[in-house]
Amino acid sequence: MAAGPAPPPGRPRAQMPHLRKMERVVVSMQDPDQGVKMRSQRLLVTVIPHAVTGSDVVQWLTQKFCISEEEALHLGAVLVQHGYIYPLRDPRSLVLRPDETPYRFQTPYFWTSTLWPAAELDYAIYLAKKNIRKQGTLADYEKECYDRLHTKISHAWDLVLMQAREQLRAAKQRRKGDRLVIACQEQTYWLVNRPPPGAPSVLEQGPGRGSCAASRVHMTKSTDFYKQEIEYCRRAMGRTRVKSSVCLEAYLSFCGQRGPHDPLVSGCLPSNPWISDDDAYWVMNAPTVAAPTKLRVERWGFSFRELLEDPVGRAHFVDFLGKEFSGENLSFWEACEELRYGAQAQVPTLVDAVYQQFLAPGAARWVNIDSRTMERTLEGLRQPHRYVLDDAQLHIYMALSAHALPTLTLSQGSAFPTWLGPPWPLSCQCSVLSTHRVQRRRTGPDHMLKKGQVSI
Amino acid sequence: MAREECKALLDGFNKTTACYHHLVLTVGGSADSQNLRQELQKTRQKAQELAVSTCARLTAVLRDRGLAADERAEFERLWVAFSGCLDLLEADMRRALELGAAFPLHAPRRPLVRTGVAGASSGVAARALSTRSLRLEAEGDFDVADLRELEREVLQVGEMIDNMEMKVNVPRWTVQARQAAGAELLSTVNAGPSSVVSVEERGGGCDPRKALAAILFGAVLLAAVALAVCVAKLS
Repeated sequence: MAAGPAPPPGRPRAQMPHLRKMERVVVSMQDPDQGVKMRSQRLLVTVIPHAVTGSDVVQWLTQKFCISEEEALHLGAVLVQHGYIYPLRDPRSLVLRPDETPYRFQTPYFWTSTLWPAAELDYAIYLAKKNIRKQGTLADYEKECYDRLHTKISHAWDLVLMQAREQLRAAKQRRKGDRLVIACQEQTYWLVNRPPPGAPSVLEQGPGRGSCAASRVHMTKSTDFYKQEIEYCRRAMGRTRVKSSVCLEAYLSFCGQRGPHDPLVSGCLPSNPWISDDDAYWVMNAPTVAAPTKLRVERWGFSFRELLEDPVGRAHFVDFLGKEFSGENLSFWEACEELRYGAQAQVPTLVDAVYQQFLAPGAARWVNIDSRTMERTLEGLRQPHRYVLDDAQLHIYMALSAHALPTLTLSQGSAFPTWLGPPWPLSCQCSVLSTHRVQRRRTGPDHMLKKGQVSI
Repeated sequence: MAREECKALLDGFNKTTACYHHLVLTVGGSADSQNLRQELQKTRQKAQELAVSTCARLTAVLRDRGLAADERAEFERLWVAFSGCLDLLEADMRRALELGAAFPLHAPRRPLVRTGVAGASSGVAARALSTRSLRLEAEGDFDVADLRELEREVLQVGEMIDNMEMKVNVPRWTVQARQAAGAELLSTVNAGPSSVVSVEERGGGCDPRKALAAILFGAVLLAAVALAVCVAKLS
């Protein structure tokens, strides 16, 4: 085959491992004593040897690898799909039928290979040969491919036609049976390598193959290579890590907590809109709805963040704060959120507004932040940027979750649903607030709240 | 005339490459044998000779600066066809090396794949070497030495291709092929007589068997008719 498309730089072409394994299976089938039973195919005048039936193949696979019949059927089907065995009666459908359907083995030259990919020039020669043999009656997709190839490699078209004619003449020197077999082999090869539209391509490797890990192997070991390696290792050592026991514990508790709330895992009531075409579920769970569902309110109990992120929950909380506490903490928190996620051009004006409203001594809605954080924030305000109020925001968040929320649940006569039960677990160690008295208990999602990241 | 000579050399090279491709198809299959390996060797050596001479002629012509524009276009067309054909030959040779190493005949590591191709390929090799018939008897360990030689020859062909690219610079996209898409159908219609001839050739190939069958059938029929006549006369 002519040289196919060039391999990606830094990575030489290699045979894919699953193809090598299939080749080994096919070769072990050829053993004269322990291989598959061969029969002869009887056409009108000619007799062609080396035909196998589907049931023989399945039986051999079952015996050789000691697997169930279902698995042997699947393995045989994979071999046929990749073109190592091809059917004789219906050559276009590459499926394995476990009955008396005859099959034959493909010649090693035409084995599916990523080491020797099929080239456009060869496909053009094959189509030209088929055109000559069948006097122009190609399949539709083949006609399209032919025209497309002619546009692509029109400069080589003389060669294509010369080779096609000569290859046909060379084939005529063989006896009829061999000619038929070789034609079938070539047809199977091109069915696998250029499948008709709608048929799955077994050679598709999917995105993301050929990762940089593979390319790194082939670099020559120069000083640059070692410098890169050292840098890579240094960075790897500096990354923060969490012990898997801790992670997994957190993960398990997260899944246990969220399991009943996940519509895929526990189903969604009243019905899945995608299945039943009834959008009651979406209407009931709209972002701003008068009566939130029970599940939704339960979710507010998981963490303070859930409560704040849900618009209905936040509205409830604001109401409550308005009555029992002053609402400036939550307003300050919301203003900080706006700063973090707002437009870059608004940052200086917004920072100014926040300072005037919440942080300046004697401001209208002054928030209570501890002195150290306040000092740090005021310093940072000299060069305002998006995250300058992060520390203060975190402080306020902690204050809200530590003091306001427990009061919220335990308060009598609040409009807040009272079945919310005991105070929910609070966030864990936060090195920023070492002086603040916060209930410390490890939980899953809040465990991620480290080092000044309030949300996300 | 240089053009006719180059064209003839190119046609010969093209024919040999096609025959070589056809022979390499069966390596590793049930038709693989030491004879096949020897036929492959002879075919590729002939192909290489033709390649060298074609290359020399075409390079000499194309490096001649005093060539007219349309003549140059014609020779560039031949050049593109020749280099494509040489690429095909090199790829087939590499493939033959890989398959020959994977399926050694002298000390077989694994059984040959039973593909159903059983006949001899001497006709193809004879066509490649432009002889009437070919009878080869290869020794039992022919393929071992052959593989080493094949490796050397693959490198030689690779070098030839590199030299070609160095000496003559023909941009592929400027070459206009003479034959359009679908020209192979027109030529089969035009070359009606030749296809009929080829059919006759093929018919000639199995003529003895068919003639014998016809004669036997005729004889049996005559005997049956004679018997029937006798029976009718007697009764």
